[in-house]
Amino acid sequence: MVHNIHFAQYIPPTAIHCVTGTWTNTAGSVSGTIAKHKAANAETSLITVPVEIPSNSVALQGARLDSIEIDYELTIADLTSLTAVINQVARGVEGAIAVVATPAFTQSPTAAASKTQAKHKLVLTITTPAWIDNDEYYLAQLSAVAPAGTVIDVLAAVANFTLKV
Amino acid sequence: MIHNTHFAQYIPPTLFHAVTGTFTWTAGQVAGEISLHRGAANQTSVITIPIIIPSNSVALQGAKLASIEVDYEILTGEPTSMTWILNKVTRGVEGAVAVVAAVTKSNTVGDAAAKTVAKHKQVITLTTPAWIDNDEYYLLELSMPTGAGGAVNEFLGAVANFTLKA
Repeated sequence: MVHNIHFAQYIPPTAIHCVTGTWTNTAGSVSGTIAKHKAANAETSLITVPVEIPSNSVALQGARLDSIEIDYELTIADLTSLTAVINQVARGVEGAIAVVATPAFTQSPTAAASKTQAKHKLVLTITTPAWIDNDEYYLAQLSAVAPAGTVIDVLAAVANFTLKV
Repeated sequence: MIHNTHFAQYIPPTLFHAVTGTFTWTAGQVAGEISLHRGAANQTSVITIPIIIPSNSVALQGAKLASIEVDYEILTGEPTSMTWILNKVTRGVEGAVAVVAAVTKSNTVGDAAAKTVAKHKQVITLTTPAWIDNDEYYLLELSMPTGAGGAVNEFLGAVANFTLKA
């Protein structure tokens, strides 16, 4: 039996879903890294990280999601705001819509500190870590309200989880 | 406890990060396949493959990356060269940049042979297989200047071979 509480999964920028704004794949600011790059423009973009870790149809088996870390850079100007949310999506059965719940979490750095021009490593920690059923998945979403000048580069995300099989 | 040296992870072309050039999603040459297609152009494209295998915050646990295989096709026009670099990215803490280190490796297909018009399976083998910490990840980068011929390429996928220990 495996019960390891120290697993993590890298989620590349190419797996991250970005809407509203002009987003392109670019090299990162550090040579050898890659990024999803948003050109400066005044608009509200949604950056959604699909949390690609295993699930299991048996309770208390598979992966228990503990936290999600998102690496990104803001340059030129601060964002007006950056709001994080974690969505637990329970998939619909045939003919039915999905149901979305928002589990409680804490974040580091704070919302105010996470919108400044800087290199950021935002950690979202789920208040009650959750075993993931095979009929659900998790999305970590950032709503970035940008003034005219802010450039966003999303580098990576990492999901930290317990694996039990 | 698991200690299995034969794990592998398919990495689809939809996760490849391609810059410089005209890239589109297309069907592969074989019906049922998918590919990242590069149109002919005299440009230096950089295609980066994110290695999406687990990591672990405890030493000698999680995944030990051994090799990466890349399936691609050069359909017309040999590129000038194809250069593979395997980068280990150590993520920065809040406020700090990431640090990139090139990892020593070998290629099964030599540089000259890897750029011919053909179906290719390039295997990049780490000289020292590496346990992956939760604060780092690996990127395999291909730099490909094409010259006047332009080169049409299709990238079908990659597979990362690793040991899983937990």
